[in-house]
Amino acid sequence: MKAPSPLTAPAPPSSVLDSQSKAHARKVRALLFLSFGWLLALLIGAGTDALLSLRQLDTVERQVSSRFSARSQALSTIVVSVRVYDDQVERFLLQDQLPAPSPAPSDIAKQFAEMRAALRSFPPDQFPEEQLLLTEMQSLLTDQENSVATALSWRPGDRHQRAQQFIGEDLLPWRSRILEISQQISTVDGKRLADENLALALRFQSMEERLVWLVALALFAGILMSLICGWYILRLERQGRQRYQALARSRIELESLSARLVEAQEEERRSISRELHDEVGQSLGALLVEVGQLSKLVPPDDRVTEAQIAHIKSVAESAVKSIRDIALLLRPPMLDDLGLIPALEWQAREISRRSDVEVEVHSQSVSEDLGDETKVTVYRLVQEALNNAATHASAKNAKVTVIQGPDKITVEITDDGNGFDPERKRGMGILGMEERVRRLGGSFAIKSSPGRGATVTAEIPLHPAESPVYQP
Amino acid sequence: MRKIRILLADDHKLIRSGLRLLVEQQTDLTVVGEANDGREAVSLAKSLKPDVVVMDIGMPNLNGIEAALQITETNPQISVVMLSMHSDESYVLRALKSGAKGYLLKDSAESDLIKAVRSVADGKSFFSPAVSKVLLDDYVRKLKRSGTEDAYDLLTPREREILQLVAEGKSNKDVANLLNLSVYTVETHRSNIMEKLNLRGIPELILFAVRRGIIS
Repeated sequence: MKAPSPLTAPAPPSSVLDSQSKAHARKVRALLFLSFGWLLALLIGAGTDALLSLRQLDTVERQVSSRFSARSQALSTIVVSVRVYDDQVERFLLQDQLPAPSPAPSDIAKQFAEMRAALRSFPPDQFPEEQLLLTEMQSLLTDQENSVATALSWRPGDRHQRAQQFIGEDLLPWRSRILEISQQISTVDGKRLADENLALALRFQSMEERLVWLVALALFAGILMSLICGWYILRLERQGRQRYQALARSRIELESLSARLVEAQEEERRSISRELHDEVGQSLGALLVEVGQLSKLVPPDDRVTEAQIAHIKSVAESAVKSIRDIALLLRPPMLDDLGLIPALEWQAREISRRSDVEVEVHSQSVSEDLGDETKVTVYRLVQEALNNAATHASAKNAKVTVIQGPDKITVEITDDGNGFDPERKRGMGILGMEERVRRLGGSFAIKSSPGRGATVTAEIPLHPAESPVYQP
Repeated sequence: MRKIRILLADDHKLIRSGLRLLVEQQTDLTVVGEANDGREAVSLAKSLKPDVVVMDIGMPNLNGIEAALQITETNPQISVVMLSMHSDESYVLRALKSGAKGYLLKDSAESDLIKAVRSVADGKSFFSPAVSKVLLDDYVRKLKRSGTEDAYDLLTPREREILQLVAEGKSNKDVANLLNLSVYTVETHRSNIMEKLNLRGIPELILFAVRRGIIS
């Protein structure tokens, strides 16, 4: 008969909860991905926008300044050519009174053409105010060409007489007017440049504002995201901790539960065994004695009564035997009567009698006053291992070794049976053994592989923290 | 004729009264006291000085083995018959080590008690027949499975003779006188026997003798 083992069945995994939390995790991941993507896009957008705007502004500024410089260059060319022309005309008209050589009329015409060219070379993208002034300058030029042509065609005598007057009343006012107009154009240009610079500045400012907004938004979103993420991480951490604690707690509870189960089982066995042995067994024993007495009172020729009594006796004897067997298995009195090693030897012989396994027991310096819990644990360990060897492993030989050291007791049960894979096959019996040993703060190991027998080893400290539960 | 005085020690009143009934049918036996546990048995044995103590092996407070040890150590003239349910050699050996002269199975108490009491009172040992059968079965099975020889076959006839006498409780001097040998020779034979049978101490020697049916 095999001793029943404590139950330590794991809780079934709840697949519903699992799939729910999986869906939740997927949702959270998608949300995180989206949020981070959005934040990144915002940052990239802001950066690109700022870069493009800057480049655009730069181009516009370049255009503006190049336009302005082209205008001022054109204006100065006009002014210079007007001055040269004016000078040439003056020198030609006053050629009699001046020592320097006078320019030829063809030079003057050439200079005039140059002046016109300078005027024409003014940038074409003029705006109305500028255009008006330029047109005026154009017509002034045309007027002047005519009046100068007349003056150039004067005879030397006329020229000498009218030159001063022409210069004073015609040439100088014309020149002043031309210079005035170019001054006006320059002023207009300057104003326009200022306008355009202002527009640029405004654009720059708006870009700056937009950038500030974008950056602020990104910053805000970033902070928000970090807050949310931080909160979420803290929550996960807290949940993880709680779950771990719950797991640890339930593990401890399970352990203490199975420890209590082992205790309760042992206590129950002991009391049932005691009850059977003391009450039923002893009553039957007494009954047997009485029956023996009775049989002597029967007259020698009363065969029927004699047979009846013999039958009663044999029934009572078989009842005594079964009760003794049951009581022995439940709580072997050897442990109390003889101590650990003789009880193990009894157990070994009992196994040898019932099965094909020959069991040897070796012991070394095992004291007789071991704690009851230690004795029971070693005894049950050996019982379970030998039962396994005999019933499952079909072993031929088994060896039990018990060695007591200064602070621990080492038990080893080796058999030459079929063996098994201890990683995969862990029956209730093994779990029960492990549980019992662990309760006493000991260690437990099984070494086995298919076809190579099995070795069960346990080390039990001799002064466990907890006080023994069973009192002998 | 002087009656054999008996002390009954068992923690069950039913058993005690049954045993008393058996004993008192005999004219040469008398029950002088009853003890309820080992402690009481020790103190009653001390005060009543019975010839034989019939003792249950498993009793509360002080078990039968410890009680027997204390009684035979202080009063070697008292013979103890151990009453037990177990025929296993662990029990028999412990009983022998505690100084018990007889070992009686409860099953056969009814038929063997009187014989056992008379034997031990006479200085002989007594073992229930079923005990030697179980011991021999265990021994033979072990020999067969391990394939070793029966050490008893290694003994010379003289050694077997001495084994029986020692197991019956005779001292070296008694044996020497009986066989016309010197005490020294008997001692040599004895240690040879112990070595050949791989035994440690008289209790194991008696156990061996019981197993082989040399004594009963």
